[in-house]
Amino acid sequence: MLDRPLSPPPVEVIVAVTQALHCEARLLDNEDFDGWLAMLNEDICYRMELKSRRFRADRSPPLPVGPGVIFNEDLGRLKLRVDRLKSGFVWAEDPPNFIRRAISNVEVVARPAENEVRVHSVLIMHRNRIDGTTRVLTAARTDLWRGEGQAWLLAGRDIVLDHSVLPDSNLNAFF
Amino acid sequence: MRFERIGREPDYSRYMDLKEGWLDRRIFSDADIYEEELYRIFARSWLFVAHESQIPKAGDFLTTHMGEDAVIVARQADGSIRVMLNSCPHRGNKVCFADAGNTRRFVCNYHGWAFDTAGDLKGMHEEYCYDNGDIDFKNHGLKNVAKVSSYKGLVFATFNGDAPSLEAWLGDFRWYLDMILDNEEGGTEFIGGCIKSVMSANWKFGVENFIGDAYHAGWTHDSGCRSMNDGMPFPPIDMEYSYHASVNGHGWEFGTEGVGDLVLLGRPKVMDYYNKIRPKMAERLGEMRSKIFGSVASASIFPNVSFLPGISTFRQWQPKGPMQFELKTWVIVNKNMPDDIKEEVTKGVMQTFGPGGTFEMDDGENWENCTTVNRGVVTRHERLHYRCGIGRQIEHDTLPGIVYRGQYNDANQRGFYQRWLDMMTHDEFGKMPTRPEPRLGNVAETRDLPGLFAL
Repeated sequence: MLDRPLSPPPVEVIVAVTQALHCEARLLDNEDFDGWLAMLNEDICYRMELKSRRFRADRSPPLPVGPGVIFNEDLGRLKLRVDRLKSGFVWAEDPPNFIRRAISNVEVVARPAENEVRVHSVLIMHRNRIDGTTRVLTAARTDLWRGEGQAWLLAGRDIVLDHSVLPDSNLNAFF
Repeated sequence: MRFERIGREPDYSRYMDLKEGWLDRRIFSDADIYEEELYRIFARSWLFVAHESQIPKAGDFLTTHMGEDAVIVARQADGSIRVMLNSCPHRGNKVCFADAGNTRRFVCNYHGWAFDTAGDLKGMHEEYCYDNGDIDFKNHGLKNVAKVSSYKGLVFATFNGDAPSLEAWLGDFRWYLDMILDNEEGGTEFIGGCIKSVMSANWKFGVENFIGDAYHAGWTHDSGCRSMNDGMPFPPIDMEYSYHASVNGHGWEFGTEGVGDLVLLGRPKVMDYYNKIRPKMAERLGEMRSKIFGSVASASIFPNVSFLPGISTFRQWQPKGPMQFELKTWVIVNKNMPDDIKEEVTKGVMQTFGPGGTFEMDDGENWENCTTVNRGVVTRHERLHYRCGIGRQIEHDTLPGIVYRGQYNDANQRGFYQRWLDMMTHDEFGKMPTRPEPRLGNVAETRDLPGLFAL
């Protein structure tokens, strides 16, 4: 990666981006999807990777076509997901599931451009489903946040789930 | 080989009446019935274990399960495929914890017993501790399954030495299978790896959903369809020219309009690709099959494999107890597709039927809640209704199998549970009825049957 390392990163940037991450989590927990979409950059690339268990010595090349990505979304696709959730026809979400996101280990690691920062964070998602079952998912995220005027907007997110077998029947949530 | 359990021998025919069209709910949660399924169905059936493309080179392997038995599937130096228990004959530990890879040896973590990719015991840590006569290396390899066989890229294995050939097991269902496995020169491959998830549901709910339940789609997936389709709900189904076809518990439900599932995939380039090869597909498989492919359709291979031809998701429901299964999903494509089309298919599958897909996310909770609710001590004694379309059976000149008219139907589900009952009640494999009598007989290739091409 061509990122210039940041040491030390400017405190005001750390504070602003950390605030943005927490704000984003709160909007999603509250199902304020329009508020969340407003925090996304137009050219956002939102991806979740698939993990498989391989031996440490395994040097097999990456998969040639369509490497296992569970989400590979642009803004249009994310809007489509939001439209679905707002459609009134999502029976599995009515009554609503309760989701709470905890964001931690926020680390601003690089500044690829003057108004951009690369940020690592850890997400713990607690889902309490309509039938009462509870699932906890954890994930590592590497984001690209871009300063646009006064606001920081999410321009890229790579999500790596810490599960080789998803402990849930679906991933009907934003990470 | 026989796998028998000591204990009660219930009369499984009490659990359903398929002529009347009902099932007993206990088959979805009862622990004794589940154990019996492992013996009588999973230890005796041909089970899908891999696609050949997942292990192309010598030393390539993957790990999976046959029923609840952990197995390794490994490509040999001579190109053949071996399937063996992933369990050391010394104390029983797994000898391989990786999902897949390439290796020369499987070595047990416990005492260092080492096996080659055929399963033969080659040595162990501190071998000198065994005196002459303590151990016969030849008899202490990883136990190989009774038979391994492939059908057009799909590798199956069985623990049952008395099982018929894989071709006979699939029977006339090969006529349908060729629509996904052989619709273009070059065959198919799996791309992009395997996604695994756990659901707290009985394995049969997944299988029966794909084998025939087109009916749920318009309601369960209403939100997904509208969001993918500019706010439009599912179009009404043509009940005249859509069908259920059941062969020995395998089943395929389908329309003949040729585009429904390709529309749902939501990738126009993929639609263009199939429209381009469709004339060739018609030459290859006949007019009828070229019109079925791409239609709204879903299918299952008995006992626990399902797929959506046209949408290209391929999956296996691995039993993990009466009220849990592990779902494994892959993307299947034609090998000769250009890379950008393969990429488009992969994106489409993930957006529709991946765990984060706009259709998939509506299914799991229905199956989970069917399972847990059916278990209630009073609830479990109530029957479930499987009678939809029970009077619509037809004879069809072209379509093999037990055929029912109208895609909204419980016919294939009844066919699946009939096979389930046949296997649960017949000790001898050879005495089990064939449903229906096969048309293909022993022909090796469904293309060689011009009579079945006529519309």
